[in-house]
Amino acid sequence: MNRVLPLFQRWPFAFALLLALVLLVLNLIVSPSFLSPARLPGTLATLAPFVLVGFASTPSILAGGIDISVGPLATFSNCLFVAILIPAGLGNWHLAAPIILAVAAGIGALNGILVAVVRLHPVVATTGMLFLLVGLSLTIAQNPVAAPNNWTEVFAGGIGIVPGALLTIGVAGLIWFALRRTAFVSNLLATGESDVSAYGSGVNIKAIRILAYTLGGLFAGIAGIALTAIVQSSQSSLASTYALLGLAAAVLGGTSLAGGRGGLLGALFGAVSIYLLQQLLTASGVAPSLIQFAYGAVLVVGVVLGATLLAPRLKRNAS
Amino acid sequence: MSSDTLSPAPKTQAPTVRPRPWTRFRAWVFEVPALQVLVVLALAAWLVITIPAIANPRSITSILVITSLLALAAMGQTLVVILGGLDLAAPGYILFGTFMAANVAGKLGVPAVVALLITVVVCGGVGALIGWICHRFAVQPLVVTLGTGAAITGATLFLADGDYSSAPPEALRSLASLRGTTLGLPFPPIILIVLLCGVGMWLFLNRTAAGRRFYATGINFRAAQLARVRTAAVWTMVFAASGALAGVAGIFIASFGAGWSQTIGEPYLFSGLAAVLVGGSIFGSIRGSYTRTLLGALTLTLLSTIIVSNGLTEAQSRIVFGVIILAVVSLYGRERHVRDRF
Repeated sequence: MNRVLPLFQRWPFAFALLLALVLLVLNLIVSPSFLSPARLPGTLATLAPFVLVGFASTPSILAGGIDISVGPLATFSNCLFVAILIPAGLGNWHLAAPIILAVAAGIGALNGILVAVVRLHPVVATTGMLFLLVGLSLTIAQNPVAAPNNWTEVFAGGIGIVPGALLTIGVAGLIWFALRRTAFVSNLLATGESDVSAYGSGVNIKAIRILAYTLGGLFAGIAGIALTAIVQSSQSSLASTYALLGLAAAVLGGTSLAGGRGGLLGALFGAVSIYLLQQLLTASGVAPSLIQFAYGAVLVVGVVLGATLLAPRLKRNAS
Repeated sequence: MSSDTLSPAPKTQAPTVRPRPWTRFRAWVFEVPALQVLVVLALAAWLVITIPAIANPRSITSILVITSLLALAAMGQTLVVILGGLDLAAPGYILFGTFMAANVAGKLGVPAVVALLITVVVCGGVGALIGWICHRFAVQPLVVTLGTGAAITGATLFLADGDYSSAPPEALRSLASLRGTTLGLPFPPIILIVLLCGVGMWLFLNRTAAGRRFYATGINFRAAQLARVRTAAVWTMVFAASGALAGVAGIFIASFGAGWSQTIGEPYLFSGLAAVLVGGSIFGSIRGSYTRTLLGALTLTLLSTIIVSNGLTEAQSRIVFGVIILAVVSLYGRERHVRDRF
């Protein structure tokens, strides 16, 4: 035990990884065909929006803020594509994908400007944006509009033997991996840890914050594409479901809401854990209401464990 | 705000020099919700001018009842926001309240008072647990309330077992229905109840030691602790109050709508938060009070009445809500620049 604890404290995502592995084994016991090649692309495609919304929540939390508008932004991207871009003849991937990603990143940047330049409390700024986005999605597509055959279907199935969902998750992961090679991520973590110290050390925290929210918006746009892939219609009603899910995934993955600690890997394992938990309980025939109960309980226990047993010694008495 | 122990100190640095009138005026505008009152009056005037037919007792009563429900649902949120947190469990509490009103008091015939007591005890107990956990383990209330909210929602839906067709008993429905009367006057009792809550809350926040300790904890946790405020008790009590109040709001919401559904609580989470923010209460600040939330709720209700009666849809009123939140808070809810926080 003495060897294991420091390991958890060293890697914020270790707890979520362990939880995901345990749940995966349990899933395999309940339904042995869970990982069969035939089911894998479909499973990954349902998982992808969870993971990507979790990714989208992460950069702003790392910067010491919070973005509760990423879920609605993902559903807004979905409505924008299905209800506006396809009818307008802009449904080709080389036209639609850049437009969706640019709009999503732009809305993320707007969040960043509201937080960093106008200096609104992050919860306030993103709540306002949440209202805006939910309203816009409902205005564009009050009722679900079915999408005609389009390029997003690739992400629900597979390209050759590669599951399409790996592409959407992979692109986001690659962007983050590339950014880790730059000074951006270290500056981001420094800003989240203590914005005053970062400012004093010459970090342009305004730019860092705006970039963090922009990155979140970009990931939310990718999440919108992944969502379109599985639902193949505009689903404005999913906004409130995803609004808090991404937050839960990021936090379960060991990303500290105080900022400065965590990463995308944590959000990945957090989202996988939540998804596997739901799958496990559904497969065992538990009532949907109890699944929600279990999800809430796991979230609270995970957060409390993360804050006590698994937190690094140095920070335990800090706040 | 007559007690000066907590108001910003630098205002009276040189007592002999009176600050310029403009400075004093600005300080006054920030201190009392004058802007909110103006906005409410302007919106009311706009509504009456554009739709003169709305100035009849029935319409005014219905606007006030909807405002009261929103204000009641936002009451606990106001307290949590002043403490510097956010209570995302509100939909769960509200759902539990509606369940108690419709299924337990309505279908099983349990007396309404007992149902009310159970709601207060259960929601208050869960809230107290949240507050204690957040304080003891120094975790953000955001996630803990999110998880607990999901857990309460799940548990309530499990208890309800798919039965969403029951309605609250007549005794409860008369409290919030539009045709209700209060002591012979033609308005439902809920308006009076919320008004009394507002007065009570004002007295508590401004005229009691507990209220001042509560503000002190919200503004500066460490300073309050060093001043021997029992912050653990404050956090536990505030989250317990938030839970109990949201549960009670749920009972009234079910009584008003004469029924409930699985997602009845969700609109009240974000609209309630909007009412708190538009009212001008700020996270962890002395500039937060329930009076402001009442004004915020009235603003939002008037606004959505105007929007809907002008032929726009519910969706477009969401957009306007979003813009209003951003506009109001950027007017005077801005945070300090980093360079001023060294």
